[in-house]
Amino acid sequence: MNGASRLWAPLAGTLLAFTVVGAAAVYSGLYNIAADVPHTQPIYWLLETARDRSIAVHARDIEVPSNLSDPNRISRGAGQYAEMCSGCHLAPGMKRTELSRGLYPRAPELRRKSSLTAAEQFWSIKHGVKFTGMPAWGVTHDDDLLWDLVAFVRKLSELTPEQYESLVKNAPTHEEVMQEMGGTHQHGDKN
Amino acid sequence: MRNLRFRNTSLRLLLVIGLVGVPLNLALGHEGHHAECDNTTLNAVQADIQAMVQGEAKTTATKELAAAQQLMAKNDIEGCKSHLHSAMEATEQ
Repeated sequence: MNGASRLWAPLAGTLLAFTVVGAAAVYSGLYNIAADVPHTQPIYWLLETARDRSIAVHARDIEVPSNLSDPNRISRGAGQYAEMCSGCHLAPGMKRTELSRGLYPRAPELRRKSSLTAAEQFWSIKHGVKFTGMPAWGVTHDDDLLWDLVAFVRKLSELTPEQYESLVKNAPTHEEVMQEMGGTHQHGDKN
Repeated sequence: MRNLRFRNTSLRLLLVIGLVGVPLNLALGHEGHHAECDNTTLNAVQADIQAMVQGEAKTTATKELAAAQQLMAKNDIEGCKSHLHSAMEATEQ
């Protein structure tokens, strides 16, 4: 046996052993994927880190509009948020819903300040997140509407329950916004 | 005399309402916290804790949940419920 074989044989053996154990673990069905049984901490950490890194990398070239603090944007976003997001992500003064209690991993409560940047929030809303229940809203909404949502979400943690209610009450309804989108906007995949 | 009897009856009635009302209010106040000490609830609280950002509240919730799990293993259901309730409180901070 030459030097190279002596080095590669144990590596190949280890790799084969890992593959066999991995395949056995998958096919045995031993790992419980039920949403009411949490991952072990190492697996949770692994998935969370993979998710956060993926979002950060994919969102890094997204150009953020300069008018995210425009009250009109925030108002349009409020109506969308109440309709599309609050069932899982909740809102100021809102009790936890059956949906939010049953999702795993839990949807982040956006009334608490988020650590994501505006670009990362936009990317997550537009493309969704696999294995989390977060849908890809970009399939049915154009970028401009999604930026309205981002504008509102970034304001959300500062709102009292009364301010939230008032914003939603005075916001254009989801139907109105969708009709406007159909009439004046083009669907596109820019980011 | 008749007035006095009426007053006594009213006071007793108020006392009974008060005695019945206090536990009822406490129960309603914690309506969102079904601190049943079983695997489903322990798992649900663990899932809530995993989603929390690092901080004092998460540390507290983690410790309280661990205490609840230990007491459940020892079949101390009341102790388990108490720690589970504290863990739930911490997740909402």
